[in-house]
Amino acid sequence: MSVVVFALVIFQAVVQFGGSSYSKVLGYAANISPDEVVRLTNEKRAEAGLSPVVYNATLAQGAVAKGNDMFNKDYWAHAAPDGTQPWAFFVSAGYRYKYAGENLARDFSDAGSAVNAWMASPSHRENMLSPKYKEIGIGVVDGNLAGVDTTIIVQFFGTKIADTLPVQPVAAAETTNEKPTPSAIPTVIGSVETPAPKYSSISPMDLTKIVSLAVVLVLLVVLVVDYAIITRKNLKRIGGRPFAHIAFLGMITVILLVAKAGKII
Amino acid sequence: MKKFANHLPHSVTLVGIFVVALIGFFSFSYDKDFQAAITIAAANGYVSWGIVHHAIHKDLYLETVVEYLVYAALGVVIVLSTIFRS
Repeated sequence: MSVVVFALVIFQAVVQFGGSSYSKVLGYAANISPDEVVRLTNEKRAEAGLSPVVYNATLAQGAVAKGNDMFNKDYWAHAAPDGTQPWAFFVSAGYRYKYAGENLARDFSDAGSAVNAWMASPSHRENMLSPKYKEIGIGVVDGNLAGVDTTIIVQFFGTKIADTLPVQPVAAAETTNEKPTPSAIPTVIGSVETPAPKYSSISPMDLTKIVSLAVVLVLLVVLVVDYAIITRKNLKRIGGRPFAHIAFLGMITVILLVAKAGKII
Repeated sequence: MKKFANHLPHSVTLVGIFVVALIGFFSFSYDKDFQAAITIAAANGYVSWGIVHHAIHKDLYLETVVEYLVYAALGVVIVLSTIFRS
């Protein structure tokens, strides 16, 4: 058993540190469409009885800039190590906001998993379902973070100052196209290209899950056979209860089967 | 069967620990750090359960404790490496 634990630790080290050296085998870049993230976000808002947020190309530029900044400065946080706040990317992209919000996700293989993870978190869900926000911008950026190839999704929410000011005839004419429509289908202003993945192979997480599941299942079979032999032959020996080990490994198996890749902040 | 019945209250307790851990793990699916904490807590509960159970049955030996510790370590290594693996 100790050998199995040690071998697993060695395997993890190889996947972690060998991943970047053999990135074509272990590296992973997801194929996530920003349009799909917008669509799913508006689907969740519609389910909550909210008006859809409208895609804004300027906001999306800011989101992409934030994603690139995270890779360039190698950080995974809302604020950069130099203290740059997320709102700085709104302003530098030319988006003058009254309200602004940011959700971040990484390591997800599809848009639906990321949106579901945000919805499961109270603070991210609050952003997704806030009636304050009228527009959305999505940045999907591939890169290397702390030695790991990954895809970051930056979700910017915002409402322009202009949208919260008293309506002037001229201003209203300028912003007509950017106001959310009551339709559940979002109005898309501008377009965004879906980044093509550089490469896509088995993800390190899937590899880890497969190896771990194999180890746990082999141990479970050994324990069950061992328990059957001991019971049949009524043997006495010093050791733990097979039932306890089987139950513990059963819990680990359930966790492995449902564990999903991806982190959000 | 009688032997199993003797262990039943303890077994229910152990399964209860794991069920609570699984519910917590799924409920906090958005918080990897909390999931890690739940896994470590469940592993601790499993080892503690083993020590108390064997102490009550008067068959607690160092080898038994090490056995539970190694299984717990295996479980923690597997779960943590999976949830923190990108």
